[in-house]
Amino acid sequence: MSAEVIEVRGLVKKYGDLVAVNGIDFSINRGEVFSLLGPNGAGKTTTVEILEGVRNRSSGSVTVLGEDPEKSKSLIYRLGILPQDFSFVYNSTPVEALAFYRKTLGSSTDIKQILEEVELEEKSDTPYQKLSGGQKQKLGLAMAMINDPEVLFLDEPTSGLDPRARRNIWKVIENLKKQGKSILLTTHYLEEAELLAQRVAIMNKGKIIDSGTPMEIVERHHESDRLIIRGDGNIETMIRDMGFPVRRNESYVEVNLRNIKDATEIVNLLYEKKANFEDFTLKRESLEDVFIKMVGEIEEDEAE
Amino acid sequence: MKPSNISAYFVLHAKSYFRSRSAIFFQIAFPVILMLLFGAIFGGTSYNPGTLVVQNDSPSQVSWGVINAINDSGLFKIQVLQESANLSQYIVKNGITAALLIPANFTSNILSGGRGYMILKGEASPQVANSNYQILNGVLTEVNYHIENVSQKLVLTTAVSGTATSKTVNYYVPGLIGFTVLTTMFNMVYQVPNYRKEKIFRQFSFSGLTKSEWMVANILHSFAMLVLSDVILVVIAILVFGASLVLTPTTILLSGVIVFMGLIFFTGLGILAGLVSDNEETVSVVGNLILFPMMFLSGVFFPLAFAPPYLQTISKFLPLTYFINSLNSILIYGDFSTLLVEMIALGVSSLILFVVAAKIFSWKQK
Ligand SMILES: Nc1ncnc2c1ncn2[C@@H]1O[C@H](COP(=O)(O)OP(=O)(O)OP(=O)(O)O)[C@@H](O)[C@H]1O
Ligand SMILES: [Mg+2]
Repeated sequence: MSAEVIEVRGLVKKYGDLVAVNGIDFSINRGEVFSLLGPNGAGKTTTVEILEGVRNRSSGSVTVLGEDPEKSKSLIYRLGILPQDFSFVYNSTPVEALAFYRKTLGSSTDIKQILEEVELEEKSDTPYQKLSGGQKQKLGLAMAMINDPEVLFLDEPTSGLDPRARRNIWKVIENLKKQGKSILLTTHYLEEAELLAQRVAIMNKGKIIDSGTPMEIVERHHESDRLIIRGDGNIETMIRDMGFPVRRNESYVEVNLRNIKDATEIVNLLYEKKANFEDFTLKRESLEDVFIKMVGEIEEDEAE
Repeated sequence: MKPSNISAYFVLHAKSYFRSRSAIFFQIAFPVILMLLFGAIFGGTSYNPGTLVVQNDSPSQVSWGVINAINDSGLFKIQVLQESANLSQYIVKNGITAALLIPANFTSNILSGGRGYMILKGEASPQVANSNYQILNGVLTEVNYHIENVSQKLVLTTAVSGTATSKTVNYYVPGLIGFTVLTTMFNMVYQVPNYRKEKIFRQFSFSGLTKSEWMVANILHSFAMLVLSDVILVVIAILVFGASLVLTPTTILLSGVIVFMGLIFFTGLGILAGLVSDNEETVSVVGNLILFPMMFLSGVFFPLAFAPPYLQTISKFLPLTYFINSLNSILIYGDFSTLLVEMIALGVSSLILFVVAAKIFSWKQK
């Protein structure tokens, strides 16, 4: 069995004149959580839908579990899909929806257990239209899991969820990851990708502008770590005297660190000099900072 | 096509259907309400347009030609009474609601360029007498139209007395069954654009359900609902209004087949209409645009004999006409003579439409 469950080469999708996906390549290994990141309209959903087989591509090659999703009829039984704008029959309950899926997909999973896993057991007999947005999303996730699939496509699984529910979904995804499922996760929450994905690809305007582990991407694009100190005006001069580049904002000063260890040195010296400061925080650039910077740079380039 | 997928969707759909009050209302309660309404309007009493007793006191090519034309309209079954018989007595004795007397001077009047008077007699309530008069007059208008250079020469007068014995309800039961089948189309016209917009078809496709399985499951479900609502309809017609329909195993089975063919037609039509309407407004426009002309032009609620000839011609191209006609002939008259043609017309048009709908209808995202 090949290590790659998904392989995408030179994928292009045009909607009339609009090139939504403009020649992208990536692959996902078995048991890997791979995350597609990117601003609105980057082409993430389009890409995912092509992999699911619900949308035809304009050109390029795509294989999912060794098959072409555009042609295969049997692939769907091995996939679990939570689409971005999940919706279901208004008058059907979660139990009915899951029972239907279980039967058509020929699976023998336990409906009750899955409902418990996504924390929807209390609403198991409530018609879809009476579920809250987050509960609907949970049903969508449960439906994606009902056939114990090898590959899952989760298109923004936590959007619209409250922080606790989001953490719960993360737990569910962690669990799927432990079971060795391969997952393609698209999200706007970069912390989510950082936490769950082994590898991420950043998409913008139909192109993948960078990919790798979250660490690698941060390493490649981050400028420096920063030390942020709140205190009186003297602090700025003290640090400048130590020879560090410093910037003053309204309520705090910010030091760009060449080396993370410099932080200890600065803080120690401030203590020694009995400087008047309230607190300090060390800021490492997150994937989110890098993301915003990368996407922002491209926008600026184009504006010029 | 997998039977297990069809049954899985059938179950899903049926459960959600029974949770929808409006669906139940339109499928079951509404036709019954319509029947009660018609019952009130027509007074529950009525005519059986089945038989028209004719006494021809002026036998000639002209008068027999007129009788033949009435016969060809299919709206009455002609029963010729001997010239020697006493028409008035015959009417009373047999509770005849419609009898046509062609007086002795009829032929000579026509041939001398005058008008040919005919008299409609019978024992019926004013409503029934009026209905009979309207229908027969409609037929005669058409006959006039076909007699070259002799327009408006056939004149019908009435002399109806007494109260009726048979029931109007007989006449509108097939129309109401037609109406219940039309609701299937409405279900589709609303469901298809809604499921497309909400991407529920896409969600179905993730379950491995196919478009054809979905269509079949829908038809089976609608058929079950139609059997349910039509049985209720017929039972109420019989128990409340004393309808006298021809209900034998053969007519029941044939009615079932006709309803099934109509259902296939309207499912196909509903899907096509649903595909062209992409928002709520167009849904009702498209739905009504199809529904109302079809309902009136097919004679769901009143006989087409009233309609001008060009409308009658149009109605010949509407499958619903064949649907109503065939139900009329078997349930009211127990007559199978024209059934084959009507059923073939209905069957062929249903099949064509269904195949076209199935081809055009796609679950893929564009
Ligand atoms: N059916 C469609 N027809 C035409 N254009 C479309 C269609 N679907 C998407 N697009 C366009 O293609 C581009 C990519 O859309 P896509 O939904 O793939 O973005 P996305 O990365 O998933 O965005 P988001 O984060 O907002 O979900 C957008 O510019 C969008 O307007
Ligand atoms: Mg998207």
